[in-house]
Amino acid sequence: MATTTATITLSSSDLLSNELALSTTSTLTTAGTSTGVTQASGLSRKTTSAASAAAIQAVNLYRAGDYTADKANKVYIKNTSTTASEYFTVHIDQEEIGRLYAGDWMFMPWNATSGTKAVFTVTFASTWAAGDTWEFDGITMTAANSTLADIAAQVDALNYPNWTTTYVATEATIIFSARYASSASEEVWVTADGTLNTAGSGTANISSAAVGSKSESDITIRPSVHTDMTYEAMLIHE
Amino acid sequence: MATTTASLTITSSDLVGDALSLSTTNNVYKAGTTTGLEQTTGIASVYLTATTQIDLFNPVRTAAADAGKNSWIYICNNSEDETEYATIKISNQTVGRLYAGDFMWMPWNRSARFVDVSLTPSVATGMRIEYGLFYESLEHLASTDARTFQDE
Repeated sequence: MATTTATITLSSSDLLSNELALSTTSTLTTAGTSTGVTQASGLSRKTTSAASAAAIQAVNLYRAGDYTADKANKVYIKNTSTTASEYFTVHIDQEEIGRLYAGDWMFMPWNATSGTKAVFTVTFASTWAAGDTWEFDGITMTAANSTLADIAAQVDALNYPNWTTTYVATEATIIFSARYASSASEEVWVTADGTLNTAGSGTANISSAAVGSKSESDITIRPSVHTDMTYEAMLIHE
Repeated sequence: MATTTASLTITSSDLVGDALSLSTTNNVYKAGTTTGLEQTTGIASVYLTATTQIDLFNPVRTAAADAGKNSWIYICNNSEDETEYATIKISNQTVGRLYAGDFMWMPWNRSARFVDVSLTPSVATGMRIEYGLFYESLEHLASTDARTFQDE
């Protein structure tokens, strides 16, 4: 069990008639326990830039689908700019949290509520031959033989940039699950049917599918200027 | 002009391979300037005995006067029961849970109307919460104002 502490100090001698000197220390633990958190993204640092103001894009800092919802996750973000007018706008999903101006930092909990991932099942059927190919998500499988279960196993063994696979040995079906929650995956499923190249009557039809839903709490930050701006970020999570 | 400083230190000798020793400090300024914020609610302490969602910082009716102005929020769950937490929301968006002893410090710029910050205790057995707002501009309603608010 790791021991991680976070301390905040707020101080001012002239904001109020009474001096402000608040200091709070928290030991970061997993949700509902006294066990220390054990995972962290590590402190990262990145400079954003774009060709023009019109080309500024938000940076997806943390995807909720990569983490467990409703845990004691903590997010740290800092704008390292030294130009007072430059800021990053921080959003959770579509809700604007606030702006981090030059030198500003924030430390907040994050519930990481994800959506659901699109899934579909491909069933390999009819007559396949060694050398037949099936392409999906930019990845091509070339059949080593004509056995449908072996072809399914080959498909399962490949690495897809946007999908993961589930395969049960000896079966001729593969379940594809999107890596990220999204409600806009239908078009990709269609292409899964259209890239078959077989010498025989082999098929790789989608036998079932379910639409996903978008994530509800991805954290994004958008720079205010297209010139270089640098941020630091760290996620401490369960 | 007031000078208010916010500092954060995160340390751990065993969370990652290298010892973690993060330390950062900034002064809280008005938006886009180096002029310090001059207004605050002070640090309040409340003892909540219901699981009702409450507004810590009230909805802003007129965004025009406040839009883009800088505010900073501090919230701390002073519970000592590790299972108790407070759920923090901005408008209808859940930010996260503050478990016993946890605190948060985040900007709040209120670019949209009716953006409130709310808190929901996980238990009705009593939970002490500390919170404060440091701000540049905030509308105060006239006592005769009959407007009603709802999240957008």
